[in-house]
Amino acid sequence: MNTDEFEKRLQRQSLRPIPREWRGEILGGARRANAHPFSTPNPQPTPWWRELLWPCPEAWAGLAAAWGMIFLLNLASRDPVKVAKTSKDVPAPELLMALGEHRRLLAELIGTPSVDEPVKPSGPRPRSEIWHATLSVRFA
Amino acid sequence: MSSPDFLTRLYDDHAQALFAFLVNLTRNEMEAKDLLQDLFVKLATKPGLLDGVRDERSFLIRLVHNLAIDLMRRRRTREKNYESLAGEAAPLFAPAADPDEQEFRAALTAALGELPVEQRAIVHLKLWDGLTFEAIAEALDLSPNTAASRYRYGLDKLRERLRPLYDEIA
Repeated sequence: MNTDEFEKRLQRQSLRPIPREWRGEILGGARRANAHPFSTPNPQPTPWWRELLWPCPEAWAGLAAAWGMIFLLNLASRDPVKVAKTSKDVPAPELLMALGEHRRLLAELIGTPSVDEPVKPSGPRPRSEIWHATLSVRFA
Repeated sequence: MSSPDFLTRLYDDHAQALFAFLVNLTRNEMEAKDLLQDLFVKLATKPGLLDGVRDERSFLIRLVHNLAIDLMRRRRTREKNYESLAGEAAPLFAPAADPDEQEFRAALTAALGELPVEQRAIVHLKLWDGLTFEAIAEALDLSPNTAASRYRYGLDKLRERLRPLYDEIA
């Protein structure tokens, strides 16, 4: 088989013509694209927050849900007694009376002046004074 | 933007050759049409694309070749069994009245399908577009020597594949 003959034989094979109807379709499509270069117009710029969240909105939603859960659990696990105590700044009158009674009883036991006497300021005292008061209580 | 007359002139001058080249590369008529449409959309929306181009045909061949290679890469990742579809190639040649000639054309279409794409592209451009190796090298971004050697490899494979049929007809 001669190489030149074989090549010539191949060259003689006539190629299939392009379908005629394609001409209108392809040129029409190109002209439409030319008339409307952007098929999906976007007149308003995307807000910055959407740009920030857009890469993975599911992840951001999941993170927000997790924080919501943490907040709710934190609320639910608060100590109710602590909440009650903090909600009332002024002690009840019964409590004040009981406290006064307790002080008076303690004063009687340790032999200190009556409760009615003005209370000394509870600032720091000299050590010798504290020691003397302790001894007087022990040997009373 | 490109004028309609400019696009029409380009289509009338080059679409037939580009169509045959694309059918030979993709082996699929509808994909060839889509690629041709993509090319003309690109030409319509980028008016300066052909400015300063010395050889329109070579430049357009380069564009459609790149489009076809991109398409085939996407297709390969999409369909792992693409090679099995190679036998269902779109017809490349016009029907022949002579049954022997028709058989030869069918065998030639099948043999071209077995060539690697880079050899097939060069064989097509040399045999049926009549381009020189220099023009092929420019169009496909190769050296002329590479184009020539790939052509030889491709032609040898075709000869081996078609020898029995060719000897019988000749």
